[in-house]
Amino acid sequence: MVRPTGPLWTIFRYELAMLLRDTRTLMIAVVAPLVLFPLFIFITNRVEEREEQRLDEAEYRYAVVGSEAEWARARVDRALEESSADVQGQASIRFVESSQVTDLATAEEELQEGNLQLVVESFSRTEYRDVLREERDSALADSLATVQGSEEEAVQLPPDPVPAVPARAMRLRYRADSDFSRRARDGLGARLRDAREAERDSLFMARGFPVPVDRVIPLESQNVASAQKEGGAILGLILTPLLLLLMLTGGSIVAVDAISGEKERGTLETLLTTAATRGEIVWAKLLAVVVVGLAVAAVNVANLGVYLGLGILDLPPSMEISLDAGRIVALFALFTPLAVVVGAALLLLSGLSKSYREYQIYFFPVFLTFLIPAAAPLLPGMELRSAIALVPIAGVAVAVREMMVGPIDFVFTALAFASTATAAAWLALLTERTLSNERLISRQELDRADLEGGAALFPRHVFRWFLGFWVVFFVVSLWFGESLGIRGQIFVNLVLIFLGGSLFLIQRYKLPIKATLSLRMPHPSVWLATLIGAPSALILGMGLAQLVDAYLFPVPEAMLEAFGESLTEPDMGMWQLLFFLSIMPGVLEEIAFRGVLLSGVRKRLSPIRTVLTVGAIFGFFHVSLFRIIPTAWLGVLLAAVVLLSGSILPAILWHILNNALAIVPAMRGWVSEDFTPSVMIVTLSAVGLATSFAILWVTRVRTTPPPARSRAGASSRADPGREPEPLEPSRA
Amino acid sequence: MEGAPEAVSDATVRVRQLRKDFFDEARGEVHAVDGLDFECHRGEVFGLLGANGAGKTTTLRILSTVIRPTAGSASVMGHDVLEEPEAVRRSLGFYSASTALYPRLTGRETLQFFARVNRYPEPQVAARVDELVHRFGIGEYQDTRVEKLSSGMKQKVSMARTVAHDPPVLIFDEPTVGLDVMNALEMVRVVRELRDEGKTILFSSHIMSEVEKLCDRIGIIHRGRLLALGTLEDLRQETGKHYLEDVFVHYVTDAEGEGAVLGPMGAIRKDG
Repeated sequence: MVRPTGPLWTIFRYELAMLLRDTRTLMIAVVAPLVLFPLFIFITNRVEEREEQRLDEAEYRYAVVGSEAEWARARVDRALEESSADVQGQASIRFVESSQVTDLATAEEELQEGNLQLVVESFSRTEYRDVLREERDSALADSLATVQGSEEEAVQLPPDPVPAVPARAMRLRYRADSDFSRRARDGLGARLRDAREAERDSLFMARGFPVPVDRVIPLESQNVASAQKEGGAILGLILTPLLLLLMLTGGSIVAVDAISGEKERGTLETLLTTAATRGEIVWAKLLAVVVVGLAVAAVNVANLGVYLGLGILDLPPSMEISLDAGRIVALFALFTPLAVVVGAALLLLSGLSKSYREYQIYFFPVFLTFLIPAAAPLLPGMELRSAIALVPIAGVAVAVREMMVGPIDFVFTALAFASTATAAAWLALLTERTLSNERLISRQELDRADLEGGAALFPRHVFRWFLGFWVVFFVVSLWFGESLGIRGQIFVNLVLIFLGGSLFLIQRYKLPIKATLSLRMPHPSVWLATLIGAPSALILGMGLAQLVDAYLFPVPEAMLEAFGESLTEPDMGMWQLLFFLSIMPGVLEEIAFRGVLLSGVRKRLSPIRTVLTVGAIFGFFHVSLFRIIPTAWLGVLLAAVVLLSGSILPAILWHILNNALAIVPAMRGWVSEDFTPSVMIVTLSAVGLATSFAILWVTRVRTTPPPARSRAGASSRADPGREPEPLEPSRA
Repeated sequence: MEGAPEAVSDATVRVRQLRKDFFDEARGEVHAVDGLDFECHRGEVFGLLGANGAGKTTTLRILSTVIRPTAGSASVMGHDVLEEPEAVRRSLGFYSASTALYPRLTGRETLQFFARVNRYPEPQVAARVDELVHRFGIGEYQDTRVEKLSSGMKQKVSMARTVAHDPPVLIFDEPTVGLDVMNALEMVRVVRELRDEGKTILFSSHIMSEVEKLCDRIGIIHRGRLLALGTLEDLRQETGKHYLEDVFVHYVTDAEGEGAVLGPMGAIRKDG
C-alpha cells in the first residue's frame, strides 16, 4: 500500500525543511513557550513569596464582643502569650486587639471594611444553647428536605437537643474571601486550641492523671508506598494529558499547514497532480506532524528538566519518580500510537477545513475531545482491566498510570495499545479519503443528493444525527439519570430522543414513512421465527455476556446490583413494568434504530455491514459499559430480522419478547437472580436461533437495495480513496 | 463533428465519451463535460478552445486524475485515469494559473522536490535540475526563496517544475491568465519548444490569438461538448471564415440554434 520510497520521504523532508524556515511560527510555537513557561513559574513563585511575606509582616486586628467579652479576652490574651513561640509557622504573626469596638454590629462592619481581620464572639450558656439548637434545626431541615421530598412527616425533636452545654463559648467570625482574615482565623484558632489542650492536660495532671493524652491510645499512620511510587501515581495521572497537550499544540504547527494551508495557498493541486499517491502524501504529512509533535513535547520536557536541574525550579517532593529502562521503553511504545492518533486527527482536521481560519475554529473542540479521554486516569477507581482499555487514548492513559506504579498488565496494555493504534489508522485512512475528495480542488460543492435534498441526502447525514442523539442521550443519563427516576428516563430517552428524533428526521428529510420504517406485513412464518428466535437469542446473549464477564472485562458486582435496582422501582406493578420496560422500548427503539437508522445505513453499506453497524450503534446507546455487548448482539439480530423479513413488525415483537423475558421470570422469582444457562440450554438456544434465521432466510424478501454503486460502468472499479457515491434516486 | 481516427497507435492522450456531471444550487444538474471524444499525439499542441465554464478545466482535471469522470474513459500514455492514477500523473506535467509553488522553498529546491515526488530516478535528479535551471534561465535566483521572486520569475520556476520529471504529456490549463504580455510570450515560446522535443501538449485557452498561433489542432468546446475538431485550416475550410474568432462564433451559433444571442466571447455561458 504505502512504500517508504521516494515521494513519501521527499514530502516528509521538505515539509520539515519548510517548517524550520518558518521562523515566525517557530518562535511563537516553540521558543516562546520555552521562555514563557519558566518565566511564568518564576513570577508565580515570586508573587507567592511576596504574598507570604506580606501576610507574615501584617498586623492582625481583632475585636472581642458579646456578653462574655471579658472572659473571652482573657482566654485570647493567654493563648497569644503562652504559645507565641511554640506554634509552628505562626510565630511571627502579630495580633492586636482593637478595643474601641465592643458590639457585634460595629465589629461586622469593620470586618467587612477590612479594618478588622477577625471578630471573637462570646456566648453565655443560654446564648450558646440557642446557637446550637438553631444550627441543629437548620441541618435537620436540610436533611429532611432531601430525604423526604414533599412528603410531610412529623419529626419528633428530642426535648433537650443540646446536652452538656458548656458555661461559655467563643466563635471566630472571619471573611473567607480575604487572605488576611483567613490567616488570622487560622492563627488564632490554632493558638486557642493549643491553649485549650494545655489547660486540659494540666487539669488531668492536677486530678492525678499524669499521663499525656497521646499515650492513652498511641496512633500513628505510615505510608507503605515508596516516595517513588507515590510520585509515579501522581505523575502517571498527569503525564498523558500533559504530553497530549504538548503534542496537540506542537503537531498543530505542521498540521494546519499540511493540507488546509496548501489548499489556501494553491499548492495542493500542484501536489495532487504529481505521481505521489494519496497514501504517500498523507503518511508523509502524518509523519511530519507526529515528529514535530513529539519534538515539541520532548523540547518542553527537556526544558523543564534543565530548569529543574539548574535548581531554578523545584519539583514538589511527591513528584520524584524512578523508572527502570524497560518501563521507559514500554512507556515510549505506549505513547507512539497516541502521538499518531493525535497527528492523524490534526491532519484530518486540516483536510476538512478549507482555510487556516477554519482549522483554528475546529481546533478547540478537537483539543477538548482529546483531553477528556486522556484524563480518564483521574476518575476514581478507574482500572485498566476493564472496558476502558478499548477506548482509544483513555486506555493508553490508564495503562500509563498503572505502568508507573505497578506490574505491567500485558494483555490489557496490548489492548489499550491496539485500540488507540486502530483509531490512529482509521483517522489516517479518513484523511487519505479527504485528499481524494473532489471538493478539495473543484469549487463544485454539491452533488446530486445535495441538490435534491430530502431523502437522497439522508443516508449521508444519518450518522451525524445519531451521533448528536447519542450525545444528548449520554448527557441526559449522566446528569439527570438518577433524578429522573425510571419513568422520567424512559420518557426522555424513548419518547423525546428516540421517537422525537425519528419523527424529526422523517419530517426534515421528507422520508417516506412506510419505506423508512419498513411498515409492511411479513411472511406469516416470520412470526414463528420470531417466537423461536427471541428466547433463544436472549439466552445466547446472556451466555455471551457471561463469557465477556469471565474473560474480557469483569463487571463489578456492585455495578450489576445498582443496575438491577435502577430497573425496578418498588412501587411498580408487573403490568407497569412490562409496559415501561418491554413494550415501550420494543416499539420506540425499533422505530429509531431498525426504522430510521437502518433505512439510512442500508443505503450506504452492504447488508452485513449495515447489520453490524446498526447493532454497534444500538449497543452504544446503553450507557453502562457492560451492557454494550449484549445490546449490540440484540441490535445485530434485530437489524438482520428487518432486512430479511422486510418488515419492522417482527423486530418489534422480538424486542418486546426479549425485554419481557429478561424481566418477568426474575421478578416473579421463577429463576434466581444469578441464573446461568446450562450447556444444554445454550445448545438448544443455538439450535433455536439457527432455526429462526433459517426460516427468515428462506422467506426473505429481496427488496434490500444494493450498496452504493457508481453509475458509470467505467468508474465502478474501486479506487481506494473513493467516497461512496450516493445512490441514484429511485424515481420513476 | 469530426472524430479522431480510430485506434491510432501513437495516441498519447485518449478521451472517450467522457462525461462529468456537477450539481449546482442555482443551475441544478450541470453536464460540465458531456460526451467528449478526442485524442492527442506526440509532438503536437492540442488546443481546447472554449468560453469560461465550457468544460475545459474539468476535462483537464479528469486527465490529471484530480476529479473522476461520471462516465466514459480517459487515458494518458495508455494508463486509465481511474485504474492507474499514479501512472497517469507520472506521465504528465500539470500547469495552471491556479497551481502555486511552496513559498519557503528556493527555486532549485522546488525543482528537486517535484523531480523526486514524481519518481524521477534519484541519481539523475541533480543533473536534471541543473539542466532545467539553465534552460529556463533561473540560474541567477535559483537559491532565492520562491516567496521573494517576482511573478515572472515564479512563472519560470513553475514551468520548470511542470517538466521536472520530463513527462511525455503536458497540460497547460489557461496558463497565460493573469500574465503580462512578455511573460505570456515566454510561455508560448516554451510550449513550442516542448512540442518540438516531441511532447504532447494539451493547451486550453479562451484567447483566440494564442490558440491560433500555437495549436496544431483545435477542439472547440462548448457546454461540455466538442463542436469541432481539426487543424485551423480544416476549421477555416469547414466554416468559410478566416479568423478563429469568427470560426468559433460560427460553431457556437450553430449549436445554440436560431435564437442564440451571443455577447462578447467571455459572456457565452451555459445558461446566459
